[in-house]
Amino acid sequence: MSAVTRHWPDAGETRVPYWVYTDKDLYQSELERIWYGEHWLYAGLEAEIPTVGSYRTTTLGERSVIVLRNAPNEISVLENRCRHRGVTICQARSGKLDNITCPYHQWSYALDGTLQGVPFRRGIKGKGGMSPEFSPSDHSLVRLKVEVVNGVIWASFSDKTPPFREYFSERLWHSYERMFSGRKLRIEGYTRQTIPANWKLIVENFRDPYHAGLLHVFLPTFGLFRPDQGLELRMDETGRHGSIMPVPGHDPKAHSGNDFLRETAHDQSFKLADRRLVEAVHELKGEETVSTSTVFPSVIFLQQINSLQVRQIIPRGPEEFELIFTFFGFEDDDEEMRQRRIRHGNLFGPAGLVTVDDFEVLPMAQSTYRAAENEESVLMMGQGGRINSDAGSLATESPIRGFYQYYREVMEL
Amino acid sequence: MTALANPVAVPSREDVRAVYEDVRAFYDAYFEALDEDRLEEWADFFVEECRYRIIPRENYEAGQKACIMQGDSKGMLTDRVRAIRSTQVYAPRYCRRFYSGLRLVNKTGRQLQTRQNLLVVHTLVSQPSRILGCGAAHDRLILTDGGLLKLVERTIILDTEMIDNTIIYPF
Repeated sequence: MSAVTRHWPDAGETRVPYWVYTDKDLYQSELERIWYGEHWLYAGLEAEIPTVGSYRTTTLGERSVIVLRNAPNEISVLENRCRHRGVTICQARSGKLDNITCPYHQWSYALDGTLQGVPFRRGIKGKGGMSPEFSPSDHSLVRLKVEVVNGVIWASFSDKTPPFREYFSERLWHSYERMFSGRKLRIEGYTRQTIPANWKLIVENFRDPYHAGLLHVFLPTFGLFRPDQGLELRMDETGRHGSIMPVPGHDPKAHSGNDFLRETAHDQSFKLADRRLVEAVHELKGEETVSTSTVFPSVIFLQQINSLQVRQIIPRGPEEFELIFTFFGFEDDDEEMRQRRIRHGNLFGPAGLVTVDDFEVLPMAQSTYRAAENEESVLMMGQGGRINSDAGSLATESPIRGFYQYYREVMEL
Repeated sequence: MTALANPVAVPSREDVRAVYEDVRAFYDAYFEALDEDRLEEWADFFVEECRYRIIPRENYEAGQKACIMQGDSKGMLTDRVRAIRSTQVYAPRYCRRFYSGLRLVNKTGRQLQTRQNLLVVHTLVSQPSRILGCGAAHDRLILTDGGLLKLVERTIILDTEMIDNTIIYPF
């Protein structure tokens, strides 16, 4: 494998060589070690499959899976691949099932993935039929390890993955619990897009406080962010997960209602014609107006103003990934809050007034890498990595360095 | 939305004859302005209290409201244009919209409902032209006192399952 023959720069995580974004063998190895390894992958929200038999299909790593409720309090995540000829069984995105039947030869499975029926198993009029050596119990659909944590469905291809809370760490738990407290969720919809860049670039983007007020001109222009804002950066002990929360300014009361925009607007001459686009109501625990967390490797959670969203990452080769936004709110939201969340969604997604900047700039980086694989990114802002020494500033790249500390360990680079 | 989803009232031939050419000319002008990147004119095709949406068909059919793009007033449309012009970062591109099957679905007094199919193609520097979106528009228009048509509501229901990275310009 050429991955191990690659040599990481001697300067450590302050440099990231461009071949990590282009090498096909390294990408295959990432699928095995990271996506199909001892990690939890985001598989959906419980609210998406409310009743027994309801299911959704999604992609974990590059593998299609069926996420379904097979009993009132039990969720199965099964590989969407018939054990007979490998046919993708469920083609639809969502629906309701009594059992899982492959269209090709009608092999059928129970909702927990157990193989139940093989047509003509005993042959026809004593002729043909399945070999006596065939054991149905060895041909269940491949079942992933599952944990449901405060309404979020996690799945892992490895049995050795530790319980989710331990995996994500106590240090980051508050950022998770803030969005997913167990309060019942309401799904408001999805967007889906393909981004011609390596999947790690979007994770890095969410661990890069340095770019926030510089690339995203919209935020300081319309008073949603300012560069002298305090930040709380956290990572778990391994460096693989992280959270970034801007700390409210000196007057926390200014952030608890619509007034916080006026408080932070850096230039009063830039006024929105319709301020409802960004006018927020304080709702979650704590004073933060933004919170983001990355759960390695597959998902980013973000709350900004009143938009709540999941961004699921699906790798598609070294130079492309899909990004799926799931916009949600809470079951007990009133109509006004639902409208507000949807309106704030204008800032995010494939046409997001803010997010477009990221989705456009990542391919601008990716497009240079293949022709310059041995060049490298310079990540020398701030100090430290997962052992963080400048956690309060946005002028740092320590969360990206922390990410690569873990990445190098798991990839043995 | 139910009126849009299930149009049962078929306008009379007289009604269609009376306004079809005007409606057609309205959309020709609308798309020409957008295709020629005269975005500053976009909001003027709408009344003050309007609604503009690009919504994935997946959401629309599930009764979910999350949109790819949404404007809840003419002001919000001008805010988006200001962001496109002065704050958003994106690679330069051309964007061209093709509409077909324009149909007058309903006419009640000065209020009209129309539908059209829509194909949007974008072209980035040194790249082949690619399909950005494919869908249908369900619109409501009003004939103003000045005799001009204006959009009250434009809902673009997008079939496109996987968007080719980003949508910068409106359809």
